[in-house]
Amino acid sequence: MAKEKIYFQSMHELENNSILKEHAEKEFVNEVSTNEFLGNEENLEGNSTSRRDFLKFLGFSTAAATIAACETPVQHAIPYVVKPEEVIPGIANWYASAYFDGHEYASVLVKTREGRPINIKGNTDAPYGSGLSPRIQGSVLSLYDSKRLTAPMKDGAATDWNSAMADVKTKLDQFAGSNEKVVFMTSTLISPSSKVLIEEFKAKYSNFEHVTYDAVSHSAMLEANALSFGKRVMPTYRFDKADVIVSLAADFLQDWTELDHRKQFAKGRNADTGMMSRHYQFESNMSLTGSNADFRHPVKASQQGMIAVAIYNAIAKKAGQPTLTVNLDSKLNAQIEKAANDLWKAKGKSLVVAGSSNVALQLVVNGINELLSNYGSTISISTASHLKQGDDAAVNALIKDMKGGKVAAIMMHQVNPMYTLANSADFAAGLKKVKLSVSFSGKADETASECQYILPNNHFFESWNDAMPIDGFYSLAQPTIAPLFDTKQWQDVFLAWMGSEMDFYSYIKNNWKANVLGLASWSSALHDGFFSSAVEATEMTFNADLNKYAQELKKEASSAKGTELTFYTKSGIGIGTHANNPWLQELPDPISRTTWDNYLTMSVADAKANGFANPMQSNGGVNGNLAKLSLNGAEVIVPVLIQPGQKAGTVGLAFGYGRMNEGKAADNVGVNAFPFYQNFSNTQYNVSVELVDGEHEFAMTQVASTMMGRDKIVRESTLEEFIANPKVSNAPMTLATHKGIQPLSKVTLWENHERDVHFWNLSIDLTKCTGCSACVVACHAENNVPVVGKEEVRKSRDMHWLRIDRYYSSDTTKENATADAGYEGVGGAMDMFLEMEIPSETPEVVFQPVMCQHCNNAPCETVCPVAATSHSMEGLNHMAYNRCIGTRYCANNCPYKVRRFNWFQYSDNNKFDFNMNDDLGKMVLNPDVVVRSRGVMEKCTMCVHMLQRAKLDAKKEGRQLKDGDALTACAAACDTGAMVFGDALDKDSNLSKVKEGPRSYFLLEEVGTNPSVVYQTKVRNK
Amino acid sequence: MHYESPIREPLVLNDKTYSQITEDIAAPIEGRANKHWWTLFIISLATFLWGMGCIAYTVGEGIGVWGLNKTVNWAWDITNFVWWVGIGHAGTLISAVLLLFRQKWRMSINRSAEAMTIFAVVQAGLFPIIHMGRPWLAYYVLPLPNQFGSLWVNFNSPLLWDVFAISTYLSVSLVFWYMGLIPDFAMIRDRAKTGKATQKIYQILSFGWSGKAKHWQRFELISLVLAGLATPLVLSVHTIVSMDFATSVIPGWHTTIFPPYFVAGAIFSGFAMVQTLLLVMRKVIPGLQSYITIQHIELMNIVIMVTGSIVGVAYITELFIAYYSGVEYEQYAFLNRATGPYAWAYWCMMSCNVFSPQFMWFKKLRTSIAFTFIISIIVNIGMWFERFVIIVTSLHRDYLPSSWSMFSPSFVDVSIFIGTIGFFFVLFLLYSRTFPVIAQAELKSIVKSSGSQYKKDRKDEH
Repeated sequence: MAKEKIYFQSMHELENNSILKEHAEKEFVNEVSTNEFLGNEENLEGNSTSRRDFLKFLGFSTAAATIAACETPVQHAIPYVVKPEEVIPGIANWYASAYFDGHEYASVLVKTREGRPINIKGNTDAPYGSGLSPRIQGSVLSLYDSKRLTAPMKDGAATDWNSAMADVKTKLDQFAGSNEKVVFMTSTLISPSSKVLIEEFKAKYSNFEHVTYDAVSHSAMLEANALSFGKRVMPTYRFDKADVIVSLAADFLQDWTELDHRKQFAKGRNADTGMMSRHYQFESNMSLTGSNADFRHPVKASQQGMIAVAIYNAIAKKAGQPTLTVNLDSKLNAQIEKAANDLWKAKGKSLVVAGSSNVALQLVVNGINELLSNYGSTISISTASHLKQGDDAAVNALIKDMKGGKVAAIMMHQVNPMYTLANSADFAAGLKKVKLSVSFSGKADETASECQYILPNNHFFESWNDAMPIDGFYSLAQPTIAPLFDTKQWQDVFLAWMGSEMDFYSYIKNNWKANVLGLASWSSALHDGFFSSAVEATEMTFNADLNKYAQELKKEASSAKGTELTFYTKSGIGIGTHANNPWLQELPDPISRTTWDNYLTMSVADAKANGFANPMQSNGGVNGNLAKLSLNGAEVIVPVLIQPGQKAGTVGLAFGYGRMNEGKAADNVGVNAFPFYQNFSNTQYNVSVELVDGEHEFAMTQVASTMMGRDKIVRESTLEEFIANPKVSNAPMTLATHKGIQPLSKVTLWENHERDVHFWNLSIDLTKCTGCSACVVACHAENNVPVVGKEEVRKSRDMHWLRIDRYYSSDTTKENATADAGYEGVGGAMDMFLEMEIPSETPEVVFQPVMCQHCNNAPCETVCPVAATSHSMEGLNHMAYNRCIGTRYCANNCPYKVRRFNWFQYSDNNKFDFNMNDDLGKMVLNPDVVVRSRGVMEKCTMCVHMLQRAKLDAKKEGRQLKDGDALTACAAACDTGAMVFGDALDKDSNLSKVKEGPRSYFLLEEVGTNPSVVYQTKVRNK
Repeated sequence: MHYESPIREPLVLNDKTYSQITEDIAAPIEGRANKHWWTLFIISLATFLWGMGCIAYTVGEGIGVWGLNKTVNWAWDITNFVWWVGIGHAGTLISAVLLLFRQKWRMSINRSAEAMTIFAVVQAGLFPIIHMGRPWLAYYVLPLPNQFGSLWVNFNSPLLWDVFAISTYLSVSLVFWYMGLIPDFAMIRDRAKTGKATQKIYQILSFGWSGKAKHWQRFELISLVLAGLATPLVLSVHTIVSMDFATSVIPGWHTTIFPPYFVAGAIFSGFAMVQTLLLVMRKVIPGLQSYITIQHIELMNIVIMVTGSIVGVAYITELFIAYYSGVEYEQYAFLNRATGPYAWAYWCMMSCNVFSPQFMWFKKLRTSIAFTFIISIIVNIGMWFERFVIIVTSLHRDYLPSSWSMFSPSFVDVSIFIGTIGFFFVLFLLYSRTFPVIAQAELKSIVKSSGSQYKKDRKDEH
């Protein structure tokens, strides 16, 4: 038997434990003299703690406790226990990745801070896809969309992945056994590994079928190429190599086929070297592309076919080829002849494109390009683009099969047919007949909410992916954050169903090693984000009987009746995938400058004839009459906006609005145009537009249309004039003084600032700026610019630090409103100004990005009573938010009106329920930029935090700052090269070179503000 | 004693004696308030409280509850500010400038005119504070030593000049006014029953005045010194207020004519307001009709006519200079004022300020009490529109048409303005019941030279 062990603390305890035991029982070793203290009554009475003192103490402690309770709530941040090696607080990590949402592709760099993706920019190292659209720029916010599903759903209730996946798998096996059809409906897929995966899945399940559905169809082009070349592909275009571009309603600067066209187009428009393409646009809506054209001709969509034929014939005549046997309208105007002449002159270096969904028209356009020998130079069939693969026929067949009960199961990824199909009712009926419906949508959108299972897909920031947007260019998308919610990417789900142990990352890696990389390294491809390989050129011959198609077009042109409706997409919302992104909803349409809405665009003539108007209200908001738009059973009440440049007899309507249950920013904004998008045709004839009672309130960021004859604001010339005299529209301004005529810069009340470190300047080339608005969203994301909502925008309280002014030309100008023309005296001046407010019915359009001009003699700085805005040594106009008391004098005194005031608290305020009002949405905030409180003025800082970062990085590396190290968010987002940022003291910098150029001018130079932002005049090649 | 020509109209009518004057002036303080007073007071108090509620709402929610926007960052707030400051000017002009020019007719109106000044400046002073985005930091505009290092106010800013101008103006006016009140307070004190609270209060207020020769001598001296101090303020305050606009770069604001034009406008509107108040007071307290005579009214109407014409010349000069300058922005700004979306405000201003005072050329009209009252109201409406036109029409369409916008007031804008009118009348009504509304001590000094009885007596002697 073991002896009980004794533990002791000291020898005393071991030897004589009785005393210690006694001590241990007492709290204090020595007796505490409580009696001495309390027993002495006399002493106690003599004590000065009176009842009043007691009450004082009581009162104090109560007050103290109350005050302590009033403390602002503390939000505890939990520091890393084990810090990941690559995360350094305060330092951003950039990851190369790729963006594809089924419609648009971009090679991107994702900026993460403390593990959160907060911004993206184009990967300029990549040879393809480095330009971002506003939507891609803003997509970072959709990661933090509070409407994202947090777990898989079964019949509308949350479930877990294991049971959901097991359920579906059981059913799939069952259908495989009974050989019933299972369809996987996706948007265009450009991921090579996913395609291999689908093929493998097909091999395993023979009943499996893949249908590709693009909400906005490009089938016509694919069909036309199939008929012309025997291959159903989308060619790649090179707008930079084209000297003459003729576009028949192809909005190639925005949403035609590829984003890169914008960059290419800008590259080909170099006024300074005189190497500038000439661009003709024939279209019915005023598109972004049309507004950038040298010659824009409003034509009806139904007539575009005839124009194509006319151009074909004109060129064929010159080429000595047979013309098409079609009796043309004798009203072939001179402009078509002119376009054809230019095309012929630029044979082999020209480009004709069309946006029509008419195969015949696309074929004739192919014919023109063939006559001009453009294939192989400006168009490449062998390097195909894969961004538009949708097959309308397959979709129609699928719906028929579903309704016929021939489809047992449907799975959907990146499609929302219930919203985007014109015949969504048929689809809904079919969906009821399938035995199993699964959606991989990340949100319970219109379609997913009708499905039995929703297996939420990761956001692209949370996923591994690869992409091949065009032949020979591969890119990789890597996750930049762990999935925020209980979501899985669909490829992993498929792999699991196939019984594979592999995850999709390994799958991509294996596939790349086997099929893509060859001998190249996987890690460097992953680091760079892309991999390029050579593409073999293949010969293809054009082979189609155009006469037949020309007859078809003739028939269409003569049979088209009634009002024509042409659809378009807006730069912010597109087809509505990102409709719940408040940044994009608040992004003004570059043409109409309207936010938070879609509307029927109508020509001035039609509006007048049918009683539609856009009256301005006393608060500056614009209202619009409502129209009932109906076509073959589809009907909607939609507000009308009069659009200068719209062809009479046509109306336009944007896709992407009228979402339901998509989220707080998207719901009930605008109307859904898809029910009118019948037969996937982007033009509908004979629609009825009827004036109905009621008015709609628009929210516009700009209500004036024209420059009011102030042609020094945007200085313009033609290329010819510019080559003859580079200063033609940009003569240096002078002032008459007592010393004679002096240049403006010599006449100043101010002392010059000393500039010896840096002098940050931004140059904006109005020739290259297309008005795409990517910079506006980039600025929003970088600088935590608040979203204020429709009501506030309507009250002219938008917060955009960077805006893109749009001006239409007016028929009345100072030149033609002379006394001889009847504009005499004060009355004449009044008439002239009133008429100048009205834009021309077929206006020329200019875009002018305006942000804080960082004046070196700033009117805002002198008037602030508390010196909250002051000048930096580096030429920046600083704003100390802490010091600002909000007198708004600076904003009044700003000639450019770029200062923005926090009229309300825009964060944590339920009245402004946008991303800054929920914890998830706030994750997108840039920690380098403070969120402004109410009552404070704010404005463009020229991304001073990015400049500081660049300087610190250079300092740490012990080197001088290089040109290009420091960039602003807008300049980084500008893929056309319109914005050049740099140090004007560095004579070798790009900026200095541009600034010295003949096209440089300052906006409102005559006010004497001496800005740091310099504009380059607009040159049109006409 | 000062001798006044018999052909001059007497300034004190109805053969008043010293004791009658005392009785008349002490009557509203010692007696009970009548129904009219209570009605006016309750209405004023209600609007004042409503206005205060709207101010609290503004401070609680943000300036966004007003109708302002990114282009028009000031509208009713600064319009009201300038309007109230302008109104204040007549008081100082009457009490200081007319004192220096020895205009005896000022004596029966200067007390109320100066009370009006102070109450108007109180209203004016509200707006620069509440129009701030963060009014709780208003003390940033004071050049206070602080622990923020070299953080200091911006002495280049006209808004800072405003801070000094308005605070100086308020303090000098207050002291000047109070000095004049001391002998009158003493008079009330002496009439009050011993031991009553009234007596105690007026005892404190009268600073131990005992009417000694030495007291009178010092009183006269300090009045002269303060008048000397206050006189430049008549010119400087509105000059500085006008510089809020004149030193800017906004077409329609950037105008060198502004200082004299604003001062004339201020006196113009101030006299109109004095007319309004005195005519009401004369009606409500009939005892005052012997002291505030048709002659006073006529003289003030002449001032209104002259200053109104100066303002008219300034308007036309502005138009001419805009045309002559050749600056397209300036030309458009003025053309837009007269013909643009706010043309109605411009023509309202023109007809109220330039055309309506021209009726005062007719003696019959300028001595008609009813007509004077109507014109005084019209002038104040016109002067409010003048500031609205200058501020809003200049801002709403400035350099870049892309930023052009419109302004329309919210209910809060309107309520706060009406609230300040209520506040002003609350103060004025309280004043009329507790303060001697006419400087009786001063007035008594001219009874023997300008009182009707004495003039008649002297006439008979000859």
